[in-house]
Amino acid sequence: MITKTGNIKIKTERLNLYYGNTHALKDITIKIRANAVTALIGPSGCGKSTFLKTLNRINDLVSSVRIEGGVYLDEKDIYAPGVDVTKLRRKVGMVFQQPNPFPMSIYDNIAYGPRIHGIKDRNSLDEIVESSLRDAGIWEEVESRLEGSALRLSGGQQQRLCIARALAVQPEVLLMDEPTSALDPAASLKTEELMRWLKKKYTVIVVTHNMQQAVRVSDETAFFLNGEMIEAGMTREIFSYPRDRRTRDYIDGRFG
Amino acid sequence: MNVKAKCIISKDRVCIVETAAQAIFTICAFVAIFAVGSITLYMIANGVPALFKIGIRDILFSATWKPTAQEPEFGILYIVLTSIMGTALAVMIGVPIALLTAVFLAEIAPKTLTAVIKPAVELLAGIPSVVYGLLGLMVLNPLVYKWEQNLYRGSETHQFTGGANLLSAVLVLAVMILPTVVSISESAIRAVPSELKTSSMALGASHVQTIFRVILPAAKPGIIMAIVLGVGRAIGEAMAISLVSGGCVNFPMPFHSVRFLTTAIVSEMGYASGLHRQVLFTIGLVLFGFIMIVNLILNNILIREDR
Repeated sequence: MITKTGNIKIKTERLNLYYGNTHALKDITIKIRANAVTALIGPSGCGKSTFLKTLNRINDLVSSVRIEGGVYLDEKDIYAPGVDVTKLRRKVGMVFQQPNPFPMSIYDNIAYGPRIHGIKDRNSLDEIVESSLRDAGIWEEVESRLEGSALRLSGGQQQRLCIARALAVQPEVLLMDEPTSALDPAASLKTEELMRWLKKKYTVIVVTHNMQQAVRVSDETAFFLNGEMIEAGMTREIFSYPRDRRTRDYIDGRFG
Repeated sequence: MNVKAKCIISKDRVCIVETAAQAIFTICAFVAIFAVGSITLYMIANGVPALFKIGIRDILFSATWKPTAQEPEFGILYIVLTSIMGTALAVMIGVPIALLTAVFLAEIAPKTLTAVIKPAVELLAGIPSVVYGLLGLMVLNPLVYKWEQNLYRGSETHQFTGGANLLSAVLVLAVMILPTVVSISESAIRAVPSELKTSSMALGASHVQTIFRVILPAAKPGIIMAIVLGVGRAIGEAMAISLVSGGCVNFPMPFHSVRFLTTAIVSEMGYASGLHRQVLFTIGLVLFGFIMIVNLILNNILIREDR
């Protein structure tokens, strides 16, 4: 953290997002550090997931979305005309709330991304599959049944498989949308451990409802409310000395 | 039983209505089971005797069909092969078209276009099959005849069909199975969780890559079900193809006038008597058997896929 401080991976400037007539994100300006875990907290419907989805432009799939302002990955505007969304999504991977492996074998799940991007050589694929599963901390559990269906894994294993699937395209950023909310406590802890470990290689941004989780895993925290970002900073500071009263009320559990 | 007992004690009105409704549901369910059971029994009882009188080999594996001759022969091999070939070709033409239509409707078409195409496809299902036959007779047959004339110009051996042949029947069948296959596979595609699609796109896959590598594989059980029902519709169709297929018993080739299992029954039942009539029931039994086999095979595939 000491060496990486100041290294900004993603920043947004006056980002506004509308779903039809609904103003879902209001003037969000934030800087997200590389090789750190940034937690986005706030009550349901506050825009934190929507914000996450602007970072890999997966919101583009919703036809009524309109976006103003800038989102910069390594200083480059990802909404600029001519940006290759495929390349962007390769760099910015995503893990969803529900573990959602594809209905195919464990191996094919992991190899899906690399294959899409043109890797056909079996040896390279083998290597990618193994290293991705190792990075996601699930290699030992599935090594012997790579050809078995991914749907037969437990929920926690499926989620780590989905993380491995996202890692297989060698992203630089990993977006995680409430990755543990569908998991039992033991599986959640394992996933949290994984997040802390992943930041060595990746920039991790995690949306969470669970404030203890934010404290446990994140270096920085941003608090969202009603489409606005109320405050952001070092997790320790946000939770110990929140500057805004609304942040304090939320952290103290007065609403949410 | 428990509910009933309580009703008698309490004489509660709602309770009595509940019990009565349950009884009615049960009876209705049994009507369907009774129908299937009695049809199966009836087909076996009427279709089997001829098999033994004539011999299984002389019926199923002989190609000579002369039911009204002095020494009648009842070989239905060509008729069986025609049904198999006709259905297979119709499915080979119709299913890809239907599948791509379903993908288009579920994934690609803008809502306004779906609103036009979907009712049109559903309307296809509602058109009586004899109307397909009439259209085939008036439009398709002349076109196929032109093609036939060009193809066999100067041929000494070819028996010209005037366009009423296997090819015409196959084309009509291919169109007739479209609505079934389209609407069922479209629902199957729509039922694929949107998270799978989003995940694939989030890995950098394009929409088309996502459709062919994730959405269609995930919808496979439903699509197989759609194909089963399409096969069932094609193999059981009689009216439309009896008008466009010519009607002679021939080896199934595109430009041969042919007779299907169904059209054989339709066209001969009016005048058949005695053993001939019994053989027509045997044909019905063979048809029935085919549909059962198709269902069993594909259901087994479905179960295996689920596991």
